[in-house]
Amino acid sequence: MNAQQEDRCVIAARAALELEDGQVTNLGAGIPMLVANYIPEHIDVVIQSENGIVGVGPVSRPGTEDPDRRNAGNLYVTLLPGGCYFDTATSFAMIRSGRVAATMLGTLQVDGEGNIANYEMPGRRIGMGGAMDLVAGARRVFVLTEHCTKQGAPKLVRRCTLPLTGAGECDVIITERALFRRYPGRGFVLEEVARGHTLEEVAACTEMAYAAADDVRLDAYG
Amino acid sequence: MAHDKVVPIDEAVARVEPGMTLALGGFLGQGVPLTLVRALLRRDVGDLEIWSNDGGYGADGVVELVLAGLVRRLHCCHIGYTPEVGRAVEEGRCALDWVPQGNLIEMLRCGGAGLGGFLTPVGVGTAVEAGHEVVTVDGVKYIWERAVRADVALVRAHAGDTCGNLCFRGTSRNYNTVVATCGDFVIAEVEHVYNVGELDPEKVHTPGVFVDAVVRSDVTYCGVAR
Repeated sequence: MNAQQEDRCVIAARAALELEDGQVTNLGAGIPMLVANYIPEHIDVVIQSENGIVGVGPVSRPGTEDPDRRNAGNLYVTLLPGGCYFDTATSFAMIRSGRVAATMLGTLQVDGEGNIANYEMPGRRIGMGGAMDLVAGARRVFVLTEHCTKQGAPKLVRRCTLPLTGAGECDVIITERALFRRYPGRGFVLEEVARGHTLEEVAACTEMAYAAADDVRLDAYG
Repeated sequence: MAHDKVVPIDEAVARVEPGMTLALGGFLGQGVPLTLVRALLRRDVGDLEIWSNDGGYGADGVVELVLAGLVRRLHCCHIGYTPEVGRAVEEGRCALDWVPQGNLIEMLRCGGAGLGGFLTPVGVGTAVEAGHEVVTVDGVKYIWERAVRADVALVRAHAGDTCGNLCFRGTSRNYNTVVATCGDFVIAEVEHVYNVGELDPEKVHTPGVFVDAVVRSDVTYCGVAR
């Protein structure tokens, strides 16, 4: 595993600890999909994928793939007992009405106001898919991202300059270096610094405004 | 009731004229009416405006129509798996309108349900708001989004009967049930075609009254994940 893959796994493992028993959760493409590999055994999370499936299980073993049973990343998946299929209108009724408790998604930029920009940058059009609906509808929104771009630029920025996926929607940011939680009236609070990183280092690579918690956990992430 | 709607595929897509608006069911590689997409390529009918979840997956789907230069404007929410669509947009060969996924399906649903539009909180405070009226109800801001109808709608079903009743399977249902309602002319490509009376009426997702033509699906391969 290279350093980048290791960072992604560190983020996913920490994020998995945020999920609560019985919660319906949507995991976006990229790092969020890795979260499924780290959910503690005693936690029963119901995974929803916006293409029309709830109760998503592990990825299908080779030879058992069904072309009509995939997730929103087009990967072949299994369906757990109690899971079911539905159409896109029903899927987004579920999402907008708050039935999805938590959504975890990657980002290009996130800022101190909780703004998220994750679907378009100059020369690279990806599309928002269901992300705009998910950040507006899910009860808690987690942004899972590497702390900086491959070029070393901050992704936690003073103000998003790319088109927004959602305005003021992000509740928690989890990177390989730190965890920030947003509180009404206070903005983002740095609550954890991952093992191998320091407060000073986090400050140096974070453009976004935040306050460090009085009881900030150092050497965190288990 | 038992009107036989099964027609040869080229006869069905002959309904598509240049400049028309089409809606397609499917999600990336799931439940995409690929047999119909390829019949459109053969028909070589251009200047199309397309409503679809995405640009396809890899080399399959709407991307084929875009690269053939048949698409004037694409309304969708994702082209991340078809970078060639992005390139066509960059080079001005095709216009692109982003529509959030839940808004997209609801626009088509309203179009198919005889409604004029709906109020949605999704997109408020983003670029999606541009060109829309914002309405406040009980203190909450909503975008007033319009309904969309297509001249021709294309769907893919796992099973269907000759009078157009359709059954979908697994995650290939996705947009197909809604898209089957929003077209002035609806063509269903069906993997397994049954005689009238052979389908369990309890299992029908789309009543045949919405469907104008049934064609046999001949593409089993459909956007396989890598």
